[in-house]
Amino acid sequence: MSLQTDFGPDSGGRVKGLVIVKPIVYGNIARYFGKKREEDGHTHQWTVYLKPYANEDMSNYIKKVNFKLHESYTNPNRIVSKPPYELTETGWGEFEIVIKIYFHDPNERPVALYHILKLFQSPVSEGAPPVIGRALVSESYEEIVFQEPTQLMQHLLTTVKPITNGPWNHDTNFEEKKEKTLEKILSAQTKVRSEIAELKEKLQLAKETSAKFKEEIAKLQNSSNMLSVI
Amino acid sequence: MADIRDILDIEQPASEITRESIIHGDKLKKKYVTAKAVKRPEGMHREVFALLYNDNKELPPLLPTDTGKAYKQTKARLGMRKVRKWMWAPFTNPARKDNAVFHHWKRASDEAKEYPFAQFNKQVSIPSYSESEYNQYLKSEDWSQAETDHLMDLCQRFDLRFIVIHDRWDRAAFRDRSVEDLKERYYHISATLGKLKTNPWSNAVTTVNGEKKTYHYDAEHERKRKEQLRRLFDRTQEQIDEEQMLLVELKKIEARKRERERKTQDLQKLISRADSGSVLNTNQTLNAEANTPTNSAANIARRHDRKLHKKKLSTQQRPIRAVEAVTVEWSGIKFPEARGTGVWLRSQRMKLPPGVGQRKTKAIEQELRLMGIDIAPTPTEAICKHFNELRSDLALALDLKNALVSCEFDLQALRHQYEALNPGKTLTIPASICNTSTDGENKPTGEIIDVVGSPGTPNTSI
Repeated sequence: MSLQTDFGPDSGGRVKGLVIVKPIVYGNIARYFGKKREEDGHTHQWTVYLKPYANEDMSNYIKKVNFKLHESYTNPNRIVSKPPYELTETGWGEFEIVIKIYFHDPNERPVALYHILKLFQSPVSEGAPPVIGRALVSESYEEIVFQEPTQLMQHLLTTVKPITNGPWNHDTNFEEKKEKTLEKILSAQTKVRSEIAELKEKLQLAKETSAKFKEEIAKLQNSSNMLSVI
Repeated sequence: MADIRDILDIEQPASEITRESIIHGDKLKKKYVTAKAVKRPEGMHREVFALLYNDNKELPPLLPTDTGKAYKQTKARLGMRKVRKWMWAPFTNPARKDNAVFHHWKRASDEAKEYPFAQFNKQVSIPSYSESEYNQYLKSEDWSQAETDHLMDLCQRFDLRFIVIHDRWDRAAFRDRSVEDLKERYYHISATLGKLKTNPWSNAVTTVNGEKKTYHYDAEHERKRKEQLRRLFDRTQEQIDEEQMLLVELKKIEARKRERERKTQDLQKLISRADSGSVLNTNQTLNAEANTPTNSAANIARRHDRKLHKKKLSTQQRPIRAVEAVTVEWSGIKFPEARGTGVWLRSQRMKLPPGVGQRKTKAIEQELRLMGIDIAPTPTEAICKHFNELRSDLALALDLKNALVSCEFDLQALRHQYEALNPGKTLTIPASICNTSTDGENKPTGEIIDVVGSPGTPNTSI
């Protein structure tokens, strides 16, 4: 609370027009035991995580991260308040994990990510039984957008330090993925646009034809009415 | 008594001797025991308790009841007065002219009174005419005077009961006449004479402003009406079945039509105002004379068809006019504008707004899959923007496709209408429009039936 007042009495005072984007990566890795564990039937060890996309220390602006697990776990709400924001567990099934991120400034509402814990290789890519020891990775890219953050938040967001001196890599090559996706979308867009133009033309023609038909019918009807009167 | 005991908290005496207790005996006692089972709680007002637990355990009425001031309905009190006498007495009915004497039971006090039902014997006054009047006004080519006299005589005798008159008609002397013929002649005479003189027998009704209104008998209408009824009655089982079948068909057709109308309503934004909306002449004068006896089931079917057609015309024109007024430019999906302040996730931007229906969402996703695009791509700003644009375009394309299919369908309907009006000729639909139906599902031929109206054909009216 005392921190907040450092940035003026108007604690909610936001920096107009400023948008700060923090790309993140979240997901899980999973390892197969090789067999079903006797005592509880668990088959995998997995780690769910949230990490920055860039090499920076997120604890500067993140207060805590809440991983909400399946209710069958004891104490399913796991709170991690220091990086690395990750949680390791064992289990036998896949479920949705809610990752809720709380920020230091209580004026910024927490955001929630939804991740489906992945333990098994999709059957398409892997017909063979799971390989022991090799980790399975399922992760997603996301961007946290701070629209007009509070002054406190702005300060915290812009003073992040690198998390490591070494290289900061991800299992998934998101840069390549981004590029390819955008490419595909753009080409699809041009295709659909031309299709729309064509459809519009056809529709116009259809309407004109319809008007013409109606005219013909009206003519016929008028003449037949005349006939029936006579 | 019970109230006082309640107030003073005195127990009910074991047996109180009243008239009721003597008459009803133990039944009454039992009732009291159950009522006593619930005791009034401390501090509750007696009146409140009485509302909740009265002797017969009934709930108090919700509405004010109106049973009079008394607590009890007074019962019929018998044996207080002397019995009035009835007697078996002869009587004559003044309505009868034969002075026949009958007997009935009546009260001795009513002895002197006239037979009360005689007043209901109303006599119809039948007009009469003299020889000269007949020759001057009532001459007819079809009716001789003797025959007219016979008719008037029968009318008098049977009080205008024309069915009876028809039955009693002297077929030996005169030719057979229908009930309508008889009525026509009679009412004609009555009206003519009514105009000539103000007679008590005239069936003219004098209205408030002194004008006379004569009853006009529309014989032609009556003949048609009876003919219609006769035909309805004379239908064979097959014809009835056919009509039933046609009605079922009609229901199906209307259901399909509604379905289609619903679709066009969804798409009416797309139909431009360019259509001049040629006003079709819907109020067709129908030839009443063309009364060729076809079977009535077919008549009914055609009539339904015509109605259907009229409805169709009106609904076809409505959406066009609506668009003329509004001129909506359709623009795919409208994604919500950027929010004010705070933290949000980029991927939230790619959520389809709730206005987009499930079907459309599915269709868009299907299209995306066909093009090999992830339905939840990596959310960067550029991808979000273009992905949303792409989906909006896809939605628009889908709408346009649907509109085109419905347009094509309309065109086909119009063509069929044209062909029905002008057999042997047809209109050609441009080929470029038609190819949409090749990728869409083929319309069942049944759907085309519902528009083959034949509004111009002379319709038989019954």
